[in-house]
Amino acid sequence: MQAAVLKGYKDGYELIIRDNADFDQALSELKDLFRKLQLDTVGEEKQISFTVNTERRLLSAKQKQKIEELVGNYPRFSIYKFVSDVVDTKDALEFMEEHTVHVNSDTIRNGQVKLIKGDVLFLGNIHKGGILQATGSIFVLGNVEGILHAGYSDNVISVIAGNFKRAQQVRISDLVDIIEPDMQADKVVAYVNDLHALSYTTLAELKTLRPKIFTQIGGF
Amino acid sequence: MGKSIVITSGKGGVGKTTTTANLGTALALMGKKVCLVDLDIGLRNLDVILGLDNRIIYDIIDVAQGRAKLPQALIKDKRFGDNLFLLPAAQNTDKSALEPEEAKQIVDELRSEFDYVLLDCPAGIEQGFANAVAGADEAIVVSTPEISAVRDADRVVGLLEQQNLEEPPMLIINRIKKKMMHDGQMMDVDEITRHLSIKLIGIVFDDDNVIGFSNKGEPVILDEKSEASKGYRNIARRLEGETIPLMTLKEDEQGGFFKKMSSWFKRK
Repeated sequence: MQAAVLKGYKDGYELIIRDNADFDQALSELKDLFRKLQLDTVGEEKQISFTVNTERRLLSAKQKQKIEELVGNYPRFSIYKFVSDVVDTKDALEFMEEHTVHVNSDTIRNGQVKLIKGDVLFLGNIHKGGILQATGSIFVLGNVEGILHAGYSDNVISVIAGNFKRAQQVRISDLVDIIEPDMQADKVVAYVNDLHALSYTTLAELKTLRPKIFTQIGGF
Repeated sequence: MGKSIVITSGKGGVGKTTTTANLGTALALMGKKVCLVDLDIGLRNLDVILGLDNRIIYDIIDVAQGRAKLPQALIKDKRFGDNLFLLPAAQNTDKSALEPEEAKQIVDELRSEFDYVLLDCPAGIEQGFANAVAGADEAIVVSTPEISAVRDADRVVGLLEQQNLEEPPMLIINRIKKKMMHDGQMMDVDEITRHLSIKLIGIVFDDDNVIGFSNKGEPVILDEKSEASKGYRNIARRLEGETIPLMTLKEDEQGGFFKKMSSWFKRK
């Protein structure tokens, strides 16, 4: 049973490192493989980059570095990326956290700051002086008299939608706007426009502005 | 085993100390054993309002630092038999002289002896607040119908909710001017309660007697006729679990002829 297998596809080469093989053995096999490959393709000029597939195993940074060093000895070869069939539980949970819409019904009082990773569907109360921060978008159904901060701290794609007419301020990423009492009633979406300024628009416009918002709900 | 209640507000001058004194007295008059603890270290005045300022020998800092035993520092208010005691604050140190742990220890010791331990919190949300909240089982937030007081009360309720008290904080709205509230110039009781979304345990009307009685060193609650006195008595009874309707906001009717006449003869 080989520990390292080279496969060619239409769109490139894949190096499979079997997950049940010993890593050191795989490394020595790779060494042989590349030496042979180098000899077989003498005279050719074309650059070849490989995708390294580690199947159901995750390589440590050190192991990845070893492979990269090995490939680095051959100027014509390079590693495009490492892929695997599995992810760390920690990464997975973080991904989930950032990509689900969190339903929240807290009361955020004067002086309190609530930070939520990902998007928020907010059903609670924000009192004057309270701040709700989300790394993603904020969809408001609750009563907001404080400050809404979407895209905290540098996500300009995120939006704030809903009734924020009574809020003190609306913030997206690094932009701030003070809500004036004479805002148009139908402008219920705040977003960052192409000139990197906060702007307001109607709910109907949101679909053309940020179509991705409507596809990301649900699913991993 | 009694319970300890911190009386706090965030903003200064809304009537924390007056509330502590009157609520404590009301509970003592109902036959409960009550200890009032002044935690406004450096600016004590709970003792003055109760007229006990001349009897202070040891204070809470002396107890915390081991210069005196707790029973030595307690001052008994003789007007109420064996029911009302005061643990005074120190005058010549500041709030950092007491640590939350020490305050908690003292309150725990008092709680085993008394039915109620009322903690008079200083204004602000710094160390003095931390000291007062450390030993508390429950909290009463005092506010007046002013936007600044309500905003600070909101901040304080937020801080209290993080403290994992046994019960959610309760609200007293103090210094209500009937006429102004009627005219809509003052924030409405319902509006404040809804905004803070905590349980309202009582309202107290603005009453000139409060200042007059405090200056004499007597809690206003001893004046049975005054409006403020009724408000505080009701709160004390609600703390004991009774159900009493809120006092009405209706303005006093104009008195009849005889009432007017009798007012001519009243001592001014």
